[in-house]
Amino acid sequence: MSGTVRTPLREQPYFKPLLGVISIVLGLAVWFAAVSWGGIPDYVLPQPVAVFHALIDGLSGSPFDRVSFWYHWIDTTETTLLGFLIGAVMGVGLAAIMAESVVFQSIVFPYVVILQSLPKIAIAPLFVIWFGYHIESKVAMATTLALFPILLNSLQGFTTTDRDRVEVMTALKATRWQIFRYVKLPSALPLIFAGLGLGIVYAQLGALVAEFVGAQTGMGVLITQLQSVTDTAGVFAVLVVLAATGYVLITMMRLLQQRVVFWERGSRRGVDG
Amino acid sequence: MTGDDALLRVIDLTKQYAVRRGTPVQALPGLSMDLADGEFVCMVGPSGCGKTTLLKILAGIVTPTSGELRYRGQAITGAQQSMGVVFQAPVLMPWLTILENVLLPAKVLGLERRAAQASAMELLALVGLQNFEAKYPFELSGGMQQRAAIVRSLIHDPAILLMDEPFGALDALTRERMNVELQRIWMARRKTVFLITHSIPEAVFLADRVIVMSPRPGRILREFAIPFPRPRDIELTGTTEFGDYTRAIRALLDAQGDIG
Repeated sequence: MSGTVRTPLREQPYFKPLLGVISIVLGLAVWFAAVSWGGIPDYVLPQPVAVFHALIDGLSGSPFDRVSFWYHWIDTTETTLLGFLIGAVMGVGLAAIMAESVVFQSIVFPYVVILQSLPKIAIAPLFVIWFGYHIESKVAMATTLALFPILLNSLQGFTTTDRDRVEVMTALKATRWQIFRYVKLPSALPLIFAGLGLGIVYAQLGALVAEFVGAQTGMGVLITQLQSVTDTAGVFAVLVVLAATGYVLITMMRLLQQRVVFWERGSRRGVDG
Repeated sequence: MTGDDALLRVIDLTKQYAVRRGTPVQALPGLSMDLADGEFVCMVGPSGCGKTTLLKILAGIVTPTSGELRYRGQAITGAQQSMGVVFQAPVLMPWLTILENVLLPAKVLGLERRAAQASAMELLALVGLQNFEAKYPFELSGGMQQRAAIVRSLIHDPAILLMDEPFGALDALTRERMNVELQRIWMARRKTVFLITHSIPEAVFLADRVIVMSPRPGRILREFAIPFPRPRDIELTGTTEFGDYTRAIRALLDAQGDIG
């Protein structure tokens, strides 16, 4: 009798990635067929090949050339990262102070609720009035969108510290600062990082919205320009670049999270702001 | 004991918790007891009799409503460096290594680092955790984590060790082993230990004196002096003499009715 048992296909390690690849290839084929024989016009849905060409064209330009993707990509990415950083510092900082001071929390909370209830994208035109058509208004929008998920998740993290951990410190006569520094802050890190992971996605969203509303450079501006000349393939190409950028940003945050919050198995999902 | 020679005197300690409606909950109705220097005292009683509240007051975590605590004749309030606390769960910080965890009290209390580190290594060896100092808590079993927690409670060399069901979360075999181990640590370090437990055999095995509590509101029903010589072997728990004590305590508790 042979002792080998065949592993079912479903449990092979390559099963899931293989299905993923097949799914993408099939999707492209359906897309190609729809455009070639389905009677869908080019300006609605361009050929996959046309998108590919637009992508190569856009990416092969010099970063100093206004028609190059890089020219706009650098601007949008810079805005995203700046907005994220400011949002992170403000969000974690405010959450820490709110968690430690009931008075401060009571004063700030009404504003948090109001701003949170507001569809924040609606503020974008106001930022253009306040900060003009330059990077300042874009960063302001990116910061505004990044701030809330970071603030709310961090606040949750700071205020839900395991009581036993605090009691260990209390029994040692620890000062408030020591309790914060040695217990509350590290305890909050898993939730802070859940917030940061959402924050970076929202920062990118904020940058793009600001660019739609009023700016001179950026991927959002590029999309509007391409749209005005019905260069649908070009719009698709920009979307591909944005998706790739988003993927890289999210992956970087996840790797950072796994490094810093190494004791948490399986990353937590954040509360959406 | 007259009281003046007591290491720790607890005088008429009460604790009431305010509730939203109705009369406040009486968690502790006025309890007095003494701990002598080097004594091992165990407290047994049903759930909700206030023994955890008592321990948290002694540890300075909970403020009593009234009553007094005296350490070596001096009135004390709040947390004291002379106390070390072990909780039911190990409560180690998962982001710190075992060594960093046991050194946390030294850091908080501002003790000299090198001396603390040396004593940490010595204590870790005492509880059989040498070579585990660089591991993280999640890499250790529950019993090993609790041993690390005991080391943490001893690192600042407190005179009194307060333990709230320290082995309650462990399986029966590990628990027995930890009891023998704790006796060994106690004999090596000669701390005064106040240990709360649900387990009557654990109390009789470990204690010089067992304090038996009534159900809520918890009062001291009776105290049993346990005369067995040390070091006590786990075989002791199978003897008739040992059984006499556990049976007497159980009968006393059973007579109170409801055991939580």
